[in-house]
Amino acid sequence: MSASLRAFTRRLPEFLVIWVPMLLSAGHVVVFTLWTTWVSFTPSTLMPTDGWVGLRNYTAVLGTRNWKIAFDNLLLFGFSFMLLTTLVGLALAILLDQRLRGENVLRAIFLYPLAVSFVVTGTVWSWLLNPGMGVQKLFNSLGWTDFRFDWLVNRDMAIWTVVIAAIWQASGFAMALFLAGLRSVDADLLKAAQIDGAGPLRTYTRVILPSLWPITVSVLVILLQFAIKTFDLVRALTEGGPGIATQLPALVVYDFMFQRGNLGRGSAAAVLMLLTLLAVLLPYAGWTYLQRRRAGA
Amino acid sequence: MFSRRGLIAVLVWLLAAAYLVPMVVVLLNSVRTAQEIAQGSMIGWPKFWAFSNYAVAWSGFCIAQTCKGIAPYVVNSAAITLPATLISTLLGAVAGYAVSLWRFRGDRWIFGLVTLGVFLPEQMRLIPWTIVLRDLGLSNTLAGLVMIHSVQGLSFTALFCRNYYLSIPQELMKAARIDGAGFFRIFWRIVLPLSPPILVVTVIWQFTGIWNEFLYGVTFTTGTQQPITAALIALATSVADVPQYGVQNAAVVLAALPTMLVYLFGGRYFVRGLTAGAVK
Amino acid sequence: MTLLSRRALLAASAGVLAAPVSTQIANAQTVKPRLTAISQWSAGSDGAAITALGKKFEEHGGLWQHSPVPGFTTEMMNKLRAQILAGDPPACSQLKGPEIEAWSKIAPTVNLDAIVAAAGYEKVVAPDLARIHKPGGKWAAMPLQIYRTNTLFVSKRAMDRVKADKLPTNWAEFNALAEKMKAAGIAYPLANGGSRPDDGQKFEASLAGISPTAYRAAIMNLDEKALKGPEMRAAFVQLRKLADWMDPNTASQAYAVHLPQFVAGDMGMMIQGGWAQGVLLNAGFKLDDFIIGPGPSDNGKPVFLLNADAFIFWQRKEADLQAGQKLMAQLVMDPAIQTMYSQITGSIPVRTDVDLSGPGWSDGQREAAATLKAAVAANQSVLSLAHNMAQENGMTAAMIDVITEYVKNRAITPDQAVARLSEAVEGAR
Repeated sequence: MSASLRAFTRRLPEFLVIWVPMLLSAGHVVVFTLWTTWVSFTPSTLMPTDGWVGLRNYTAVLGTRNWKIAFDNLLLFGFSFMLLTTLVGLALAILLDQRLRGENVLRAIFLYPLAVSFVVTGTVWSWLLNPGMGVQKLFNSLGWTDFRFDWLVNRDMAIWTVVIAAIWQASGFAMALFLAGLRSVDADLLKAAQIDGAGPLRTYTRVILPSLWPITVSVLVILLQFAIKTFDLVRALTEGGPGIATQLPALVVYDFMFQRGNLGRGSAAAVLMLLTLLAVLLPYAGWTYLQRRRAGA
Repeated sequence: MFSRRGLIAVLVWLLAAAYLVPMVVVLLNSVRTAQEIAQGSMIGWPKFWAFSNYAVAWSGFCIAQTCKGIAPYVVNSAAITLPATLISTLLGAVAGYAVSLWRFRGDRWIFGLVTLGVFLPEQMRLIPWTIVLRDLGLSNTLAGLVMIHSVQGLSFTALFCRNYYLSIPQELMKAARIDGAGFFRIFWRIVLPLSPPILVVTVIWQFTGIWNEFLYGVTFTTGTQQPITAALIALATSVADVPQYGVQNAAVVLAALPTMLVYLFGGRYFVRGLTAGAVK
Repeated sequence: MTLLSRRALLAASAGVLAAPVSTQIANAQTVKPRLTAISQWSAGSDGAAITALGKKFEEHGGLWQHSPVPGFTTEMMNKLRAQILAGDPPACSQLKGPEIEAWSKIAPTVNLDAIVAAAGYEKVVAPDLARIHKPGGKWAAMPLQIYRTNTLFVSKRAMDRVKADKLPTNWAEFNALAEKMKAAGIAYPLANGGSRPDDGQKFEASLAGISPTAYRAAIMNLDEKALKGPEMRAAFVQLRKLADWMDPNTASQAYAVHLPQFVAGDMGMMIQGGWAQGVLLNAGFKLDDFIIGPGPSDNGKPVFLLNADAFIFWQRKEADLQAGQKLMAQLVMDPAIQTMYSQITGSIPVRTDVDLSGPGWSDGQREAAATLKAAVAANQSVLSLAHNMAQENGMTAAMIDVITEYVKNRAITPDQAVARLSEAVEGAR
C-alpha cells in the first residue's frame, strides 16, 4: 500500500509535467472546436446566443459565391503552394549543400522572409506585382513594352500572386529543414555509395533523398497549416480581390464572423474548413496506421 | 569553360538577390518622405534622404494622444513574446520527449489532439478565448496573452520536438533506464544536451509567430499595453488622411529587427549544431 | 407630499444638468466625470479631432480615457465585443448606421432622450440621421460629423485640357465630359480606388443620382420590386461606364495613389467622400488644383449621400462614468464643438444651423452643407450603402460583393448584376 503510494508520489511531478500542459492544449483544441460547432447551429449574430437553426447557416454559407470561390482557391492555392514550396526549398537546400562560399549569408538571406510578418509581405508584394509600379513597369521601362505581368488585377490569375508571395515567405524554412536533413545523412551510407562507385546524381536519388522522407513530412505539415490559415497575407496583398476572386476559407470565416456580424455563419464556415482539412488528414493518418500495422510495430 | 561550381554559385546568388528585393524596397521607402511617395510611387529611389523617419518612428509619431512612437510598444511585445516563447519551448520539449521516447498509455491519442491545434485558425478561437480570459479574470492583461500564446504554441513545439527526438536511438534510453535513471534524469542528462538544434527551431518559430501576431494583440489589450503590431497598423490605417508612408516603412523595419536578429543568430547555430554530428 | 417634492427635486436637478453647456456644466457636477471610449481613430485628422474633443472634455473638468483600437472598424468592433463579453463595455464607443440598432440589442444603452430634448437638438438634425441614432425610438447614440460620399472632384488642369468650364450636374453631362476627356487624350477620366467601399460608392452615386426614390426603396428599404426595377438596371449601366473610365491597374490600393495624376490632369474626375479634400491638402496639393461640386443628379434637385460617424453610449453603474456620458453627449451637441471637430476633419457638422461663413471653413464644406440642407428639404438625402449607413454590415457586404465583382468583370451584364443583387439580398436576410 505505502509502496505504491510512494511510487505514485515519486512519479507525480512527471505526471504533472506531462499531462497538465498536454491536457490543456488538447483540451483547448477539443473544446474550442466543439464550441464553434455548437455556435454554427445557433442563430448567433453579433454575440453567441442559444437556439437551434439546424443546417440553415451551412446552406447559407455554401450558397454564397464567396465560399465557392474560396473553396476552389483553397484547393488550387493549397496544392500548388505546398508542392512548389517543397520543391523550391529542396532545390535551395541542395544548392546550399554544395559548401559554397558565403553560405552563412546565403542562408540568412533565404531565411529572413519568415521573420517578416504576413501583413508586410502581402503589402510589399502588392507593390511589386502591381502592373503600374512593379515588375511589369520595370520591364516596360527597360524596353520590353509588350511585357505583361498583370496577374494581380486579373481575376483568373490573381490567386497565383498569393502563391508567389507565400512561396517567397515559406521556402526558406523548408530549405533550412531540408538542409539539416541533407547534412545529417548517415555518413556510413554515403561511404558505401561512394565505394559502390555511384556518381553524385545517383547518390542523391538513391541514398540522400529517400532518407529525407521524415523531414519532408514535417515540411508538408507546416506548409499545410500555413495554407489553411492564410489570412493576413491575402488581406494585405489583394484584399480578397479583384472583386472576390482571391477569397480563401480563413477570410470567409473572419468576414462572416466579424465583419458581417454573423457568428453562426462564420462558425459554419469554420467547421466546413475543418471538415475539408479532415478529408486530407484522415487518409494520411489511416495510411500511417496501416504502415505501422504492416511493419508489425 | 565555367566550372559547375561557378554556375551553381551564380544561380544561388541570383536567387538570393531576388529574395532580397522586397527588403530593399522597404528599406528604400523607409528613408523617403511621405509626400515624395504619395506624389510618386511606392517603388522608387529616394530623392531626398529622410533618415529622420526612423527617429519619428521610434519615439515621435502619435497614436491619438500618446506621441511616443513605437518604443513603448516594443517593451510590451517583448513582455508577451519572451515568456510565451520560453514556456512553450520548454513544455514542448518535455512533451515531445514524453511522447517519442518515454512513452505512456494513450500518448498517441493525446499527442494527435495537441497536434491538431496547429491547424485551427485564429479567427475561430477569438471568441472562445475571450470567454476563457473573462472567466479567469485575465481580460486585457499581458498575462492573458502569454497564456494564449503558450497554449497555442505548445501544439507546434511539441510537434517539432517529437519529430526530432524520434531520431534519438532507443538503445540510449534503454541503457539509461537500466542504470536506474528516471524521467527527469534522462531528460536532463541525455535528451536536453541533444536538443539545441530543435530548440533553436522552436524558439525561432515561436518568437517570430508571437512577435508578428496582430489579431489577439489588438483585441485583448488596450491603449499603451498593446504590442508593436498594433502600433504598426495604427500607422497604416487612416481613411481621411495620406498615410505616413516613410515613417510607416521605417517602423516596419524597426519592428522586424528583433525577429531578423533571431534568425541571424539562430540560423547559424542550427545548422552548425547538426553538422557537428550531435545526433547520430 | 414628500414624494412630490422629491420628484420635483429630481426634475429640477435634471433640468440643471441639461442646461446649456457653456454655463451650467462646471457647476452642476459633484462627481468628476470620467469617460472610457474606444474608436478606430488613432491617427490622421480623425485622431487629431478626437484628441481635441478629449481636451475639451478635460477643460470641462472631466477625465478623458480614450483608447484607440488600431485597424479598421472590424478590429474596433472585435474589441467592443470582447469588452461586452467580459462585462466591461466602454462608456462610449464608435459605432454608426444600422449597426447601432443591432448592437443596442446586445447590451443595455443609455437613454439620452432627456438630454437631447433639453438641448432642442432633434430639430436641427436631418430626420433620416436622427432615426438611426434612436434604436427603439430612444436616443442612444450621438452623431459626430457628416460626410458626403458622392462629392464630385474635378481636376482643374483636366478641365483646361478639354476647355470645359462648367461642372456636370447630371449623369448625361458627366458622361459627355468624360468622353470629351478621353478624346482629348486623358486615358482615365475617373480616378478610383480598388477597395470595396470605392466600388460601392460609384454604384450608390449612380443609383442615387438616377433616382433617389428608387435608392431609398431598393437600398434602404430592400423593397423587392424596387430591387428589380428599371432604375437598378440603369444604375448598373452607368456603373459599367464608370468602370470603363477607371484605371484597371489599381488593384486593391486606395484612391489616394492616383491623386498626383488627378492633380496633373492625367485623370479627370473623382467621385469620393468629402474627406478627399483633406487628403489632397495633406498630400501637398492646393485648393485651386481641383473643383468640388455635388454628385450628379438627374432630376435637377441635389442628392446627398450621407455618411455619419457616431458614438454609442453603454450603460454603466459607476457614477463618474454616467456623469462623463452626460458631459460627452452635451459637448457633442454643442455647435462650437461641432465646428471645431468638422474644421479639423473636413467634414460638415451634424447641426443644420451652424454658420459656415467663417474663415475656418472651406468652400467645399460650405457647398456640402448647403447641398445637405437643400437635399433634406427635397427629401433627397439618403444613406450611404458603401459606408454601412443604409444597411447592417452583413447585408451591405453581400451587396457590395455583387457590385465589386461587377466592376472588376466586364463579362457580367447589367441584367445579371440586377438578378445577382436581389439574390444576394435574399440570401443575406
